[in-house]
Amino acid sequence: MSMTHRERVLAALRRQEPDQVPWVENDIEEALQVQIMGRADFTPPELCEKLGLSGFGAHFPTGAAADGQGLVTKETYKESYYNPQKVTFDFFPPWIAKMGADPDTGRTYIEKGLLVSEESLKLFDQFLPDPNHPGRYDRVAEWLDKYRGDYAVFARIRLGAASTIESMGLEEFSYAQVDNPELINEIHRRFSEWSAAVVDHLNDMDFDFFWANDDLAGNTGPFMSPKVFRELLLPNMKIVAERIKKPWIFHSDGNLFPIMEDLLSLGMTAIHPIQPSAMDIGKMKKEYGGRVAILGNIDLDYTLPLGSEEEVEAEVRDRIKTAGPGGGYLIASANSLTDYCKVENVLAMSKAIKKYGKYPLEG
Amino acid sequence: MVNVLQEIQEGVINGQAPRVKELTQTALAQGLGPQTVLNEGLVPAMAVVGEKFQKGEFFISEMMISARAMYSGLNLVKPLLLSQKAESKGKAVVATVQGDLHDIGKNLVCMMMEGGGYEVVDLGVNATPAKFVAAVKEHQPDFVMMSALLTTTMANMGKTIQALSDNGLRAKVKIGIGGAPVTQRFADSIGADFYAADAGEAVTKANMLQIGGNA
Ligand code: B12
Repeated sequence: MSMTHRERVLAALRRQEPDQVPWVENDIEEALQVQIMGRADFTPPELCEKLGLSGFGAHFPTGAAADGQGLVTKETYKESYYNPQKVTFDFFPPWIAKMGADPDTGRTYIEKGLLVSEESLKLFDQFLPDPNHPGRYDRVAEWLDKYRGDYAVFARIRLGAASTIESMGLEEFSYAQVDNPELINEIHRRFSEWSAAVVDHLNDMDFDFFWANDDLAGNTGPFMSPKVFRELLLPNMKIVAERIKKPWIFHSDGNLFPIMEDLLSLGMTAIHPIQPSAMDIGKMKKEYGGRVAILGNIDLDYTLPLGSEEEVEAEVRDRIKTAGPGGGYLIASANSLTDYCKVENVLAMSKAIKKYGKYPLEG
Repeated sequence: MVNVLQEIQEGVINGQAPRVKELTQTALAQGLGPQTVLNEGLVPAMAVVGEKFQKGEFFISEMMISARAMYSGLNLVKPLLLSQKAESKGKAVVATVQGDLHDIGKNLVCMMMEGGGYEVVDLGVNATPAKFVAAVKEHQPDFVMMSALLTTTMANMGKTIQALSDNGLRAKVKIGIGGAPVTQRFADSIGADFYAADAGEAVTKANMLQIGGNA
């Protein structure tokens, strides 16, 4: 029995067996989207159709004149948040940080976190847009209406952990664990309350699921000890998690095994991206596959940017074989499709998913 | 006397910056030399911190908290070492390579190298091959250490080595590389002298090369 893309995604998220393994990406960098499509004026469903993706969210080059990522300052940020010019489904708070821009790529980056003291908390008012301002919701609702079709559409949000860490800077965040834990708690609470207010609006919209991005870990393990995670971050992340009324995916790079039990207490539907260099997907499936759905694991260190099409095909086949049985697996890259992935490898991934992803899976 | 060095070690491992500062003052007042405080107090403590990180007992935050405690002692000891013109163990120029803006791992490498008794010149992120060349000319380091977190920017490590060769500087330095996607195999393929999987191991490997062994 054939399913629609949306049914396929929702079934896999419920840990059931869909008709085929669905493919969704947290992000596809716009330069790569344009390379794949050969033009910049395509719609999200056109990109999905071309690749065989079962859903979309994040952002697209489509729309009015590009609002040059690098040019967003805190003065113009709120306005561009309320009135996005290009198609987006993102609901992230800004980093409260001094931003730099790489002159070559225009990519912005965090030069220095600005939340370092009680005094600096007043920056929240300056930086955070009003989560109840109707502008962005109205605009996104139009896009949802226009493009959703049979696809599963997601909104990206944060639970506040990454916002806290990046807006303090990892060093200040670390020192405050001993000097001033209450400051971490207060910063986190404010970000989480903001996201919770956003989620209240998103719950009433036609989204099929949410994707919460909060990077907490490097390859060897979480940035902070499990104890600090449990006591300072988790209770604030729950402020958001408990308000969510749709299926949702939790995203953090790196090795999450040391905090997996605590993380699962947030009640997410699925976990992403299970970086192969940091986590073994076989272990993940075996130990936690009965409790959460799994997404990701197609390597971004070597296979997608540097590997051959044959290597991509072999990896897709292997992952479906490992994580696909019984359902509960959605395929995706180990983070996002960055602009340095080879286009032919992205197309090879698409082909291989169609070839090996049909249930019942090959033995 | 021995006790105070032991207490310094414990203070660093437990991440107690004010305490380490005080203990370092006490040690110096007791007549212990700055070299002794460094080599028998601060450095062995950071080696323990590195090991704990490798074993998964310490996480990145804890390593940073210990490093801060180490610096609270090192900052007192450093000017004394300089005024005595004490030979430093060696010097390293460290940076994240061109196109790459990840600095957490690079910062940890700087902290651990300083905690290992080396002088460190930190060039920050997005460092071009030309910037490395200029820094090697200026600082005449023993080590050039490059960090990359992106598969694309790893290529700039090879380019930096090439630039050092083109400027006749390659033989003057030992080159170490690291970062999440970097492997020993990659290090071999671009002719780096060593690779380390984490910041503690970076110091161990540098130490081995400093005494003339193979990393
Ligand atoms: C934090 C983070 C960010 C932060 C960086 C903040 C900062 N100030 O550094 C932000 C959000 C800005 C960011 C941006 C991006 N990131 Co990022 N990021 C990470 C993340 C989650 C953690 C990295 C980290 O700090 N780890 C902790 C430190 C301590 O570990 P480490 O750096 O590996 O360092 C240790 C060792 O490697 C070693 N080491 C490091 N350097 C050196 C050097 C020497 C000489 C030696 C001997 C040893 C050594 O010692 C360290 C300590 O033990 C990783 C995920 C991961 N698994 O690593 C992704 C990751 C590195 N990012 C990735 C990507 C794709 C990006 C973006 C392109 C995303 C985007 N689409 O915008 C941008 C690129 C920006 C740019 N041009 O650099 C990918 C890279 C994939 C690849 N192989 O190419 C990763 C791996 C995520 C993933 N799931 O695939 N990122």
